[in-house]
Amino acid sequence: MNGIYFEDVSVGQDIPNLLKGPMSTAHLVRWCAAMENWHLIHFDWKYATGHDKLPDVMVNGTWKQNVMIQLLTDWVGESGWLWKINFQFRGMNVPGDLLTAWGRVGAVESRGDYGVVRLDIGLRNQKGEEGTPGSATVVLPRRGGPAVPYPFDPACLGPAG
Amino acid sequence: MPENHITEEIKALIGTRNGPVLAFHPVEASEVRRFHQAIMDPARRYWDEEWAKSSRYGGVVAPPAFPPLAFRRAPDEADPLDRMGEPGFDGNTRNFRGLPPVKVSLPRLMNGGYEYEFFRYARVGERIYRSSTYRDIYQRNGRSGPMVFVVVSDMYTTDGNVPLVNMTTTTILR
Repeated sequence: MNGIYFEDVSVGQDIPNLLKGPMSTAHLVRWCAAMENWHLIHFDWKYATGHDKLPDVMVNGTWKQNVMIQLLTDWVGESGWLWKINFQFRGMNVPGDLLTAWGRVGAVESRGDYGVVRLDIGLRNQKGEEGTPGSATVVLPRRGGPAVPYPFDPACLGPAG
Repeated sequence: MPENHITEEIKALIGTRNGPVLAFHPVEASEVRRFHQAIMDPARRYWDEEWAKSSRYGGVVAPPAFPPLAFRRAPDEADPLDRMGEPGFDGNTRNFRGLPPVKVSLPRLMNGGYEYEFFRYARVGERIYRSSTYRDIYQRNGRSGPMVFVVVSDMYTTDGNVPLVNMTTTTILR
């Protein structure tokens, strides 16, 4: 997992997709058990479709957020830093879905010794439907420049432009 | 007109704080393993101690968004599943991280979205603390009826008040 340099990034660039699935109820139960979440909509079909009027049991939002995070941590590697990320859960995902996390560079900015990159991100199902739109900000080293500090302190970027 | 759920009592909750609350046990290698396996992220920083020792992390770390999920039920805490079968029980808790309850009569709960700011990853063996604040509580009326949005900001730290991650969540009651 090699990192990238700020100079290698340009506006409009697509970063490598991250694929997950097809999802199954086993994937959902494994996540529910790992995080000890007993919300019935994730594993009780009768409750999900009856009480909550959902089309099926739901892929957890907490699981999807970690997929979005991995999309960025994979891309920046061990020399960059995923600083900020946000997303909204607008679309539901259900067992059978094949999910593609994607990202596109929206803006680049040189700050201090580093580069700050803003991206639009999302998570599409196999029909191309976007369910988790969001954005992220990552900090990258410059070629020949210092490593991004760890732990990350936003003060290293100096004042915002 | 749909019922207005944002009473003066609900409005007074905005700005309320709770914490710091200490997670019941320090970060365990086994829970990190189950977490990264469940999200299917095989990055070495989560499991390869030899590699991690010489990395910027200094040891195996938990995934970035692990700290919010580190607050396990203590052995002497009530079993949430004891309430299974009670009317309205959905398996979920409406306890917003120990903040005072948001008493609105809407039966369904959805996860509306997240914002994170990351500073450092929690290492195995470290203790995690959480300090929470109600940032906002407001109502929107949609096609399916009223929805109440509860916005909570949680700052997670480890010993020495070292920041790990700041998380802001929006929960939708509908």
